[in-house]
Amino acid sequence: MAEEKINTHEQNTVPRFAVLQLSGCAGCEVSLLNAHEWTEKFQLTYMPLVSSAYDVPEVDILLISGGVRTDEDAHHLKNAVKNAKRVVAVGTCAISGGVANLGNRDEVRQLFLKRQDRLDVPRLLPRSRPVDDFVPIDLYLPGCPPTPELFMAALTDPAGYQASLIVCQECGRKKLKDQKPEHLLGFQKGNVDPEICLINQGYACIGTSTRGGCRAPCTRAGHPCVGCRGPSNVLIEKDSQAWLESIQKVFHAMTNIPDDELKEALLSPQLALFLFQFSDYAGGDRPPRPKEKVL
Amino acid sequence: MTTLTFPLSRIEGHARVEIEVQNGKVISTRFKATEMRGFEIFVQGIPAEQMPVIVPRICGVCSTAHHVVAVKTLEDAYGVTPPPLASRIRSLLLLGQLLQNQATSLFIFTMPDRVGADSLFEMDDVDVIKKKHFEMAQRALKIRELGTDLITLAGGQFIHPVRAVVGGVNAGIPAERAELMLNRLQQALPMACELFDAYWELTIRMKDRIGSWGDDQPAYYITSTGKVRPDFNSHEIRVMNPEGECCEIFSPRSFREVLEFKESEYSYAGKTSYKGGVIRANSLARANLTAHMGTKVANGYLHRLRIEFGIPAHPIMLFELGRGIELVYAIERAAQMLEQPLDGEDTDVPYTPRDGEGYGLVEAPRGPLIHHYVIEKGKIARAEFIIPTVHNMGSIERALKVAAERYITGDTVNMELEKAVGRVVRAFDPCIACATH
Ligand code: SF4
Ligand code: SF4
Repeated sequence: MAEEKINTHEQNTVPRFAVLQLSGCAGCEVSLLNAHEWTEKFQLTYMPLVSSAYDVPEVDILLISGGVRTDEDAHHLKNAVKNAKRVVAVGTCAISGGVANLGNRDEVRQLFLKRQDRLDVPRLLPRSRPVDDFVPIDLYLPGCPPTPELFMAALTDPAGYQASLIVCQECGRKKLKDQKPEHLLGFQKGNVDPEICLINQGYACIGTSTRGGCRAPCTRAGHPCVGCRGPSNVLIEKDSQAWLESIQKVFHAMTNIPDDELKEALLSPQLALFLFQFSDYAGGDRPPRPKEKVL
Repeated sequence: MTTLTFPLSRIEGHARVEIEVQNGKVISTRFKATEMRGFEIFVQGIPAEQMPVIVPRICGVCSTAHHVVAVKTLEDAYGVTPPPLASRIRSLLLLGQLLQNQATSLFIFTMPDRVGADSLFEMDDVDVIKKKHFEMAQRALKIRELGTDLITLAGGQFIHPVRAVVGGVNAGIPAERAELMLNRLQQALPMACELFDAYWELTIRMKDRIGSWGDDQPAYYITSTGKVRPDFNSHEIRVMNPEGECCEIFSPRSFREVLEFKESEYSYAGKTSYKGGVIRANSLARANLTAHMGTKVANGYLHRLRIEFGIPAHPIMLFELGRGIELVYAIERAAQMLEQPLDGEDTDVPYTPRDGEGYGLVEAPRGPLIHHYVIEKGKIARAEFIIPTVHNMGSIERALKVAAERYITGDTVNMELEKAVGRVVRAFDPCIACATH
C-alpha cells in the first residue's frame, strides 16, 4: 500500500520523508545516519538534528522516535502526522516507552513534579507515553536503536522484509544440552565463552523470546539480550505475563537453577523492569499491536 | 520589553534561545533546554550492575562515554582496577566515540553554516553547488560511520555498547578484525584531512564575512584529558585560568569543592561555574590544556592553530577547528592502538560487588563527564551525572550576549542575528539530552 502512495507524489518522484524526534536519546537518528543508502533514494525534508527546518512539510513517510514526555511532544506529534501519508514509530521509546518506562513506577513518578517549577518550559506529562496513545501508527519499528538495515527495510520495503522469528536464530551461539548452570550469574561478568549460548553459561539472556532482525550484536559480543526489539510474533499479542512465563520455561529446560532462585530473579520487579523497560508491548490497557504492523 | 525567540536545530536535543531586549539594549540571553527525561530519578532502585547498559540511553550521540564511565564508577565503588588490556580497549571505544561525534558536529551540524545551506542533505542533480554539498555530506557520513564501526569493534554494539564490564572488558579484539579496521582507518585518513582542510578554509571565509573569529571574552578552561597528550580514559580534571595557567587539579570525588552548580529557573539544564567565573569545556579546552596531540598529522594542525592564536586561544570558532584536529587525531591514534595486539592478555579481574559510593570519570567529546552512584543493598540509592554541556552553559549564554549586542542596535535587529545565534550555539556543540538527562 505504501509503495503506490509513494510513487504518485506529484512534484517529485523521489519520495520525501521527515523525522520527528520526541523525548529520546537521538540514538535512533544516529542509527539512521548510518543507514546512509537512503540519501540516494529519498529526500529528507525535516530532521532538526541535521537540518534547519522548523515545520514538518508534506511527506510520504514520517518517522517518529522518542516517547511522549511533555505537552510539547504531544503537540508536535499531533501536528506532524497531519502532513504524513504514512507514519512509522521507530525505536523502543516511541513504541513501548523504552528506558523512560523506569520513570513510570509510582515510587519515582512523584519526583518528576519537583523538576517542574521552571518558567515557561514544556510541562512534563504525568507519565511517559507511547506515540500510539495519541496518533494512529502504520508501522512499528522496534529496537534500541533499530539497526541501519532495519531502517532501510522500513523506508523501502517493509512488506518484503523477512526477519528471523527470534534473536537465537541470528545469534550463532550453540545451545548445549549437557551444560546446565546451577545459578544465575546476572547480566555481565567478564570472561564469556565466545561459542556457547549465554544461558548455558548462566546469564539471563532472553533472546529466546525476543523478536529477531537485529542480527544479535549484543549476544555476539557476549552480552545477554535485554529484549529491546520486544516480544517475538508468538508473544506479541499476549500480555507481559505470558512473555515472562515463556522465559521461565526456557530456563527450566536449560538450567538447574532452583525454582525459587529463578522465580525471584525473573519475577523481581527490578529484573522485570529492566527487561520490560524495553519491551512491555501489551502492558496497561492499550490493545496489543497487531503483528502485521511490526517490522 | 521584547523577547526574541530562536528555535535551534543541528544540535543534539531540544532547546531554544531567548533574547530579551528593552529600548535597544540586550537585557538577557537565555539558553533554554526544553526536554527532560529524568535519569537521575528513574535509576533509583535499579540494580547497580545494570547501569552500564541503562545510562548509554541518556544520549545516543555520547552513549559510549556514559557506558565506560558507568563501569568506572562501579569499579570505584567496588575497589576494582581493570587490567591494562581492558583500559586500552576502553580507550579505543572512546576514540570511536570521538571520531563519530566530531565528524557529526563538523560536517553535519556546522558545515551548512559555512556553505549557507539549511542542511547538506539536499539532493539536487541540477544545481552544481548543492550537488557538491551533497557529495561532501556523503563522504562525511562515511567518515563518521568509521567511528561507529570502531565502537562496534571495541564495544559490541554500534550505539549503545555492551563490552565494557566491571573488572575489565568481556573480550579482546582478534588480530584479523583489528587489521581490517586498521586498513580502513589508514585509508580514511587522507579523506578526513581533505574534508577538514576544506572546512578550515570555509571557516576562514566565514570569519572574513562576519568580521570576527567569534567575539566573547576569555574564560576558564576545564578538561580531564592528558597533560602531555590526549587521553580520554581519564582520571583527573584540570582547570586553566583565562591567562593560560593551570590553576586547579582535582579528582572526580571532589568536584563539589571546585565547581559550583546551580539549577536554572528557566531551563531543564543547570549551569556550573568556577570561582564565580565562566567555564568552557570541549575541544578548545583540550587544545589549550594538552601539550601536543601525540600523532603526526593532528599535531601539524595543532601547531598551525597555535602559531596563529597562541595559548590559551579564546575565539569561539576555534572550538570547531579543535574538533577537526581531534577527528584526525582519533583516526591516527586508533590506528596506532590497533597496530599493537589487543588480545591474548587478561581482559578482566574478578571482583565482589559491595555497597558504598563510587565516582567515575572520562573525557567525553564535550568535556569531562563524571558519574556518582550511591549503592545500597546492591541497588542505586542515588545517582548524579555531571555533564560537560552544563559547564558550558554560562559561556554559551555569554557568547550569545556578545552576538546579540553586535546585531541589535537601537530599534533594529540585523537579520544576521538568527544565523549568529545558531553559529554561536553550535560552536559549543551542546548536547541537550545529556545536559538535562
Ligand atoms: S529507542 Fe533507544 S536508541 Fe532510540 S531514542 Fe530511545 S533510548 Fe535512544
Ligand atoms: S539464548 Fe541468547 S545467547 Fe543463547 S542462543 Fe539465544 S540469543 Fe544466543
